[in-house]
Amino acid sequence: MSYPRLLRRTLLYMGVTAFALWVLIPIFFIGISSFTPRNEIYAWPKPIIPSHFSLDTMEFFLGSYGVLNSLLNSVWVALLTLSFTLAVGAPAGYAVARFFFRGREAFRLGILITRMFPTALLAVPLAVTFIRWGLYDTLVGVALIHTAMALPFAVIITTGIFMGVPKDLEEAAMTLGCSRFGAFARVALPLALPGLAAAAMFTFVISWNEVFAATILTVNNRTLPAHILTTIQASPLYFRFAGGFFMILPALFFMFLIRRYLFHMWGGATAER
Amino acid sequence: MRKYGIWAVALFLSAFVGFAAQEITWMSTQFVPIAEAQFVRNELLKPFAEETGIDVKFIGAEYAEFVSRVEAEYEAGKGEIAVLCGLHGDFVSVVDALADLSGVAVGGTISDTLMKLGRMGGKQAYIPLMQATYLMVVNKKALEYLPEGADIWALTYDDLLQWAKNIYEATGMQKLGIPAGPKSLLHRFIHGYLYPSFTGYQVLAFDSGAAVKMWEYMKELWQYVNPAAPTWDAMDTPLLSEEVWIAWDHTARVKQAIVERPDDFIAIPSPAGPAGRGFITVLAGLAIPTTSPDFDAAAKLIEYLTTPEAQVKILQGVGFFPVVAEAAGAVPTGALQILAKGVTAQAGSPDAIVSFIPGGISDEYKKIYKDTFFKFVIRGEPVDVRFLRSQATRLRELYLEADAPYPAPDGG
Amino acid sequence: MPSPSFSLNIGLMEARLRKFLGTDTLLSYWLLLPTLVFIGVFFLMPLFNAIMLAFRADNGAFTLDYFKKMVADVRFIETLKYTFLLAVTIVPLQLITALAMALLVNTGFRGSRFFLYLFALPLGISDLAAGLIWLSIFTQHGFLNSILYSLGIIERPIYFISYQNIGLTFLAVVVAEHWRATAIVLVILVAGLQMISKDYLEAAEVLGARGWRKVWYVVLPMLKPSLQSALIIRTIFALQTFAVVLALAGDIIPVLSGEAYFWHFLYRNSHIASAYAVFLMVISIGMTWFYLRFLRSRMEVIRG
Repeated sequence: MSYPRLLRRTLLYMGVTAFALWVLIPIFFIGISSFTPRNEIYAWPKPIIPSHFSLDTMEFFLGSYGVLNSLLNSVWVALLTLSFTLAVGAPAGYAVARFFFRGREAFRLGILITRMFPTALLAVPLAVTFIRWGLYDTLVGVALIHTAMALPFAVIITTGIFMGVPKDLEEAAMTLGCSRFGAFARVALPLALPGLAAAAMFTFVISWNEVFAATILTVNNRTLPAHILTTIQASPLYFRFAGGFFMILPALFFMFLIRRYLFHMWGGATAER
Repeated sequence: MRKYGIWAVALFLSAFVGFAAQEITWMSTQFVPIAEAQFVRNELLKPFAEETGIDVKFIGAEYAEFVSRVEAEYEAGKGEIAVLCGLHGDFVSVVDALADLSGVAVGGTISDTLMKLGRMGGKQAYIPLMQATYLMVVNKKALEYLPEGADIWALTYDDLLQWAKNIYEATGMQKLGIPAGPKSLLHRFIHGYLYPSFTGYQVLAFDSGAAVKMWEYMKELWQYVNPAAPTWDAMDTPLLSEEVWIAWDHTARVKQAIVERPDDFIAIPSPAGPAGRGFITVLAGLAIPTTSPDFDAAAKLIEYLTTPEAQVKILQGVGFFPVVAEAAGAVPTGALQILAKGVTAQAGSPDAIVSFIPGGISDEYKKIYKDTFFKFVIRGEPVDVRFLRSQATRLRELYLEADAPYPAPDGG
Repeated sequence: MPSPSFSLNIGLMEARLRKFLGTDTLLSYWLLLPTLVFIGVFFLMPLFNAIMLAFRADNGAFTLDYFKKMVADVRFIETLKYTFLLAVTIVPLQLITALAMALLVNTGFRGSRFFLYLFALPLGISDLAAGLIWLSIFTQHGFLNSILYSLGIIERPIYFISYQNIGLTFLAVVVAEHWRATAIVLVILVAGLQMISKDYLEAAEVLGARGWRKVWYVVLPMLKPSLQSALIIRTIFALQTFAVVLALAGDIIPVLSGEAYFWHFLYRNSHIASAYAVFLMVISIGMTWFYLRFLRSRMEVIRG
């Protein structure tokens, strides 16, 4: 390998490693803290590696009431949100990207504006409406709220995505005999997949981490954040660490699962057909 | 056929389950921390279910969620929550949504004074469940710096200042802690402890000469308070991590520290000022929303929780002190003993001035006290009587708007 | 570029569908409908009521009192200052970092997928958890001080979080927020990068643009739509987030969204809370308009 290339490679690896450390070290800290025995959590100076690992806190936490249930609830809500959001938002994104219709700019701006109001203040009026409609304390209800919260961003992102897919390709497909829908399904959609996957992941994460609306709208069918985060706020430090860490794990797991879809078209936007 | 047989049996049995177990939902702003919630479920609700067959589902909620939820269910006219537990202030915010509990049976003798506190909006809005107060907790390491002649069980604010100063001069660290975060109980310290101790009143002397002296004192004291204080909502963690050695906070928010290390801490009464030793008594109670799906089951729970046995358990479980006369004689063990000692000493001090938490007025009053504190103490601006006066006016307006009486010791 | 006309092979189903959907414009409206309905019902209705709260007193009269009160607050200027400062400091930092990360990963070196997954990890961390993590690092007896002390660099813990040293506290918040939210921008940018056709890149290389020049003259312009999305989204979030600020800096650094929250839930005055929220909204609109304006002209050239 030539010298400049070697240098570049080295710099590259150094760069990514530095970034990786930056991301990992704090996660490491909270992981460590969750397994530190209670009496060492408050020690000064705080040990980076505790003298021994203790499963006490995590055990207590996991054995704690309702954790597994709320975990499943969260997954379900996030998946529902994901589906609703993409189903509703992607067509809108496509429309804005492809067509120049009247009210286009107004729509784009309008979508953005809805999200500029702090959602915490909307939760109570929404709760009242939900109770009246029988959506109170249901997972579907929470998913609907999350969808409404994620929708504006989904639309923005999918707009950007579809704008990045060259129109020529679809038009070429149509001259070759595809219907408009066919062109969309066979040409635009596959090309847009990485972006759509990003939007999906984004939506999932928003839903997963959303605490406030989920807390107010559910009583018995709580999601994980609602269940954990409100109770640990008032709890001693080691519980908060365990809770926080526990919250992270499923999200990391899900992201691991869908990583392939995120990197699906890795290697190029145009597939070798 | 066998397959169907199993289903039939299951169906048959489930019918029994359906009939035998009643289930109600209990939402509470108290007992929220995980350990306390577990305690409630295992020590209180399980025996209750065994006795009465009523399954109580316990849901912890922060103030914001509690009020939002109750309001929403009230507005919609129906709800899932059967019974509520909250502080006096929590119920004040939702008094319209609460049912009248005048006829409900109670498990022991609750004094009239306390029961009266539960009367709001022309009805018995809640039944007292437990009480707590705010006091000081001290790490024994700090004792060697105690000023000459100061009595730990009867400190004055001047003693406190000297004490914190001694520690600072010896160690270079500010080891005094008063919670000043956005969700802290700082306002309680100001209106229920400082003001009565220096001026003798919570509201009436807001802008008096004594008040000016009080603010000057706080400015001086604050120099020795840990500068991270405006981020703290509770003092248990800073005490445990030893970022502070002397702390003031609610018994429930320091309890964890003493439970973890009972040998390291003692609880003592809050200091006394020129006018006396001002402190607050906090009351938590049980209420039933008008939209409750099962009033009777909820009432049964209330009766159960106010029996002496349950009251002692509560004290042992969460450190809130009983309201029922018969339970007061019970002796708690360990950390509770330490706290109880402090609480009793405070309550029994000869120069005591008891304050109650303002009720019925807009919660904006909290901000009035906090803003004044922020301006003079944190920002360090010179004490400006005009500002005090304008704040006092606004405070009085709040009471007028709500047509509410001034809390003790001011009158009412 | 003018859109060319084309001939279509129209089957019967297609014809019926076409008739139903009508022209391009009509089709667009159909595609937009679900979104509009959703947002209308779940957002606009409560939003409208909430906004009205800021302007209408309990007795129904129109009033600007609440805004006056908001502006007269002892800490209003401070709150405004910090809200802006936070957004303006964090967002560019994140954009640059995310761009660097995205470009590095995009070179497709061995193991780049793994690194990309690593970089995206903070996405799965709720803001409350992130606040907790960084608090445990910056607090007086936290990890950072512990490390410094153990290495003998300091004799006494440093008060990173202190009202006496707001600068340091602010820095701590910036670091924590940056760590937490850069992944969001990263994901958007990576997706954008992946969609840049390899042909363009190869063509650019053939024409002599390599390494930095390729990035600057070819990749970045094509990334503009993604950058714009990321910028706008991130700014709106940055103006609204306060969980991390609250966890790390409590009352030391007030921000608009925090004040709105406290007025509504702690001081129970929804009118003033709404006033703060409306004000925040206006600022967000202003900044977004500014971004769109600023980046629009560049965008027109690229699109098509």
